[in-house]
Amino acid sequence: MTAVRCIDLCKTYRQGDQDIKALDHLSVDVEKGEFVCLMSPSGGGKTTLLNAIGGLDIPDSGEIWIADERIDRMSKGQLADLRLANIGFVFQAYNLIPVLTAQENVEFVMQVQGVAAAERRAKSLAILEEVGLKGLETRRPAEMSGGQQQRVAVARAIVSRPELVLADEPTANLDSKTSAELMELFTELNEHHNTTFIIATHDQHVQSYAKRLVRMLDGRIVGDVEQHAA
Amino acid sequence: MNIVLRLAWRNLWRHSRRTWLTIGAMVFSNTLLVFMISLQFGMYGLMINNTLQVFSGHMQIQAPGYKDDQKMRQVVHDVQPLAARLRSELGSDTIAARGWAFGLASSAERSYGIGIYGVEPAHEPQVSNIPGLIEQGRYLEGNDAAEIVIGATLARNLRIGVGDELTLLGSGPDGSFAAAVVDVVGIFDSGVKEIDRNIAEMPLGTFQDVFYMDGAGHQVVLLAPELDQAALLQSRVEGLLAGDDGLVVEGWDALQPGLKQAIQADISSAFFMYGILVILVAFSVLNTQLMSVLERTHEFGIVMALGLKPGRLGRLVMLETAMMGLIGMFLGALAGALFTTWFTVNGFSYPGMEEMVANFNLPGRVYPRVTLLTMFAGPLVVFVFTLAAAAYPALRLQRLHPVAAMRTN
Amino acid sequence: MHMFFVLSRLAWRYLWRNHRRTIVMLSAIAVGTWAMIFMTALTRGMVDQMIADGISVIPGHVQIHNPDYLDDPSVNNRIAYTDTELTARFGNAGFSSWASRVRVPAVVTSERESRGVTLLGIDPEAERSFSFVDYAAVDGRFLEGPDDKGVVIGAKLADTLETRVGKRIVIMSQDPDNEIADRGFRVVGLFHAEMEATEESYAFIGKHTAQDMLRIGDTVSEVVFVGDDYRDVEPVFDKVAAQVDDSVLVSRWTEVDTYLGTMMGMMDGFMLIWVIVIFLALSFGLVNTLVMAVFERIREIGLMLALGMKPAMILGQIIIESMMLLAVGLLIGDLLAWATIKPLEGGIDISVVAKGMEMFGASSMLYPNLDIGDVILANVVVLVLGFLASLSPAWRASRYEPVEAITKV
Repeated sequence: MTAVRCIDLCKTYRQGDQDIKALDHLSVDVEKGEFVCLMSPSGGGKTTLLNAIGGLDIPDSGEIWIADERIDRMSKGQLADLRLANIGFVFQAYNLIPVLTAQENVEFVMQVQGVAAAERRAKSLAILEEVGLKGLETRRPAEMSGGQQQRVAVARAIVSRPELVLADEPTANLDSKTSAELMELFTELNEHHNTTFIIATHDQHVQSYAKRLVRMLDGRIVGDVEQHAA
Repeated sequence: MNIVLRLAWRNLWRHSRRTWLTIGAMVFSNTLLVFMISLQFGMYGLMINNTLQVFSGHMQIQAPGYKDDQKMRQVVHDVQPLAARLRSELGSDTIAARGWAFGLASSAERSYGIGIYGVEPAHEPQVSNIPGLIEQGRYLEGNDAAEIVIGATLARNLRIGVGDELTLLGSGPDGSFAAAVVDVVGIFDSGVKEIDRNIAEMPLGTFQDVFYMDGAGHQVVLLAPELDQAALLQSRVEGLLAGDDGLVVEGWDALQPGLKQAIQADISSAFFMYGILVILVAFSVLNTQLMSVLERTHEFGIVMALGLKPGRLGRLVMLETAMMGLIGMFLGALAGALFTTWFTVNGFSYPGMEEMVANFNLPGRVYPRVTLLTMFAGPLVVFVFTLAAAAYPALRLQRLHPVAAMRTN
Repeated sequence: MHMFFVLSRLAWRYLWRNHRRTIVMLSAIAVGTWAMIFMTALTRGMVDQMIADGISVIPGHVQIHNPDYLDDPSVNNRIAYTDTELTARFGNAGFSSWASRVRVPAVVTSERESRGVTLLGIDPEAERSFSFVDYAAVDGRFLEGPDDKGVVIGAKLADTLETRVGKRIVIMSQDPDNEIADRGFRVVGLFHAEMEATEESYAFIGKHTAQDMLRIGDTVSEVVFVGDDYRDVEPVFDKVAAQVDDSVLVSRWTEVDTYLGTMMGMMDGFMLIWVIVIFLALSFGLVNTLVMAVFERIREIGLMLALGMKPAMILGQIIIESMMLLAVGLLIGDLLAWATIKPLEGGIDISVVAKGMEMFGASSMLYPNLDIGDVILANVVVLVLGFLASLSPAWRASRYEPVEAITKV
């Protein structure tokens, strides 16, 4: 079953007096349960692709399908609902709400979804334990390390069991040990829950965890290989 | 431009929306201040002039105690020669003698108790505006003519007009019964209810005859060329009267204590309102400058690490505030002046104002005057408070530690 | 509702994230609110007192007169009904307080002086409950009935006339044929009033004595009615109007004393303008605070949008934050106003400017009146206008594109 299907995507940005083709007639399919690593030098278009798949950015042309729904024609409200229900996001850094505690951050999406308090609490405590943050539930982001913050972000992304998790440079601000731990966590979640992962990165270390490696350059796919985890 | 000035100027516009909002608070308050102060002091001037020009004058020579009791027997002897002497010695013709009595005025149909002034027909027009407000007939002419001018309301209540006779009943300083029949020659309309209903004027000579005054009167009224020269004139008059200890000179504020106190009461409540406006602007500035300092902590840390002393950073913040304050002051003064000028041309009024200001002899529509003083008094105070409000954020910088500062972002 | 709770918690936390800015803004709102309520309480207190004093002199909430009386208060313009007819019309019509009175202009003469007064022929028992004279506090005694042969005058008038309790004075007025009607009276009491002008202006004699002296049989000049609330005189007005025909004029107190009526209306207008002016001065700081609050968390707003929050929720969050800020500030300001006004309710002595206040028609004691309606109005106006002022920053916050917001540093 196809989790994500991109057909002939184009997206051009203007930067100064230059047109930059962030996506250049790009097509790619991702099957459910895949663990994909999206590699490119900076400016290669991976963040644009990720944002387009997440419905944060609309391509100039082409089609994007998530499961059986075409999303590039959806309204902002529909996209918000889609993200809320089906997609988990992990961004680079600073991606927690600073005025909420770890547990509240994890509960945030469920709260917006309207999940009952007791269920929210049970799920958030369980997921925080799963990502190894038991005992830190009441800390605010400023009171946690970068690695711990990213774990909270991951917990938030997966707590409502989304079909698809999109991560944009999740290890950018982490040291190598913490990065490795985070990737282990992703791999585990991928295998355990059959969640589809698409991770954009230029970290060489991260790609070794990927089962499929997609390389991009100037908005085009220049390599797409299956590999087995190290 | 000096590099520090340029730096301060650029910093100011990093958050142009915030800066404009802060300046907006200043301009709003300044506009109101300019308008209210112009209106207020314009009204005070009018209030004083209008009230004093009716009867009080800038000062009066009276018998001691007359001001409070207004008794018939508290007289100024030989009042006309005294007024004449003062006119020649002071070289001024805005001096006139008067007598005042209470009496019952009766027409064929009605009787009312009224106040009767005995005035010098030749000199009264120089000290009072009543002679100029004759609406029907004419003002008094001869010093000994048996004639009278009365207020418009009184004429209506008595049901008489120009040419009719009026009977006066009263008493002299010794309590003896006084009576006379005089011709109404004129009717004045001052617009002030109390005066139009209660006051009549007759020639001083006739007055002295009717009320057995024996050449005496109750007051000599003096008008200085301008209100601010009144005090000087008063001391000269006091000098001239030095030998005559039966008399006192009362200034306008003693003659009309209510007027001065009403102005004082009005000023205090107005200053309370102005104070609140200024404080609210100060809070606005404090907030903005505090934000501006806090968000630059990192950057301040760097320049301090480079060797800049916190004192200079504090001065930079004050300089930025001063620039913002100056813009607010000038724009505010300008906006206030333009706004007020509109009313200078078209007049200012609000429902109920006519009734209220009538107590102070004011018309129902006033025309504020913008002067340099009324234009900048308020905005300058706002400017000073603006600088004072920025002192806290500027002083906070003194406690800044470069390494700790650089760690924040 | 659930969403409201979620957003409220976020808003509340964000409010205290930058606590310095919030405290400065809260102080500004609190000071502004305090000033709104404090100033209003003082002014409301002054106007209430003016009206209370004024109505007690009028007196009553509704009056009837001869249609010509208000313009020409002469003895000729009496009510067409006799006392007996009046009792027949009003005696059993369910009026709690009413009184008929003779009211004419007159001259009072002692051995020394004469003054004009309003002569009131009253039935002391009928108007005991609403008279401005406190019968018990009179020096000497008050009138004992409509046939009392004595006169009660104000203490100040007694000073001027150089008379006192026990001495005789002559009261002069006119009868319907314009013959002088005069009679000697013994001063039996001196009354005291808040304002000197009141003490100078009224003389009370028995109603029957007055009717006898003026040769008017059993007719009167006016009938006064008191209702439950001077702010709402319509019930009394309608009841009175139902009992009379066209030969008399029924008037509300606001028509008898247009100055007081205008002042009451002006008070409410002033209150609203003052509240709005303060709010506007505050609004710049409020909008500024919100703009800053949004600016420093653009990234977080982007994040929330990316996670699936709808723009409307961001809008709601900022507006709730603004409302919370205002509500807390208002609460502090309300409490501050309450705490400063309560100790002053015993009255503030402003007799330094008593003469000035008298020109406005106000007395020398100021009793602040913390009216709950005024407090509610001030709070509601601030919340409503605050809501409107927050719309623009909140709208902008909700319009960010998530991608751009997240990548913004």
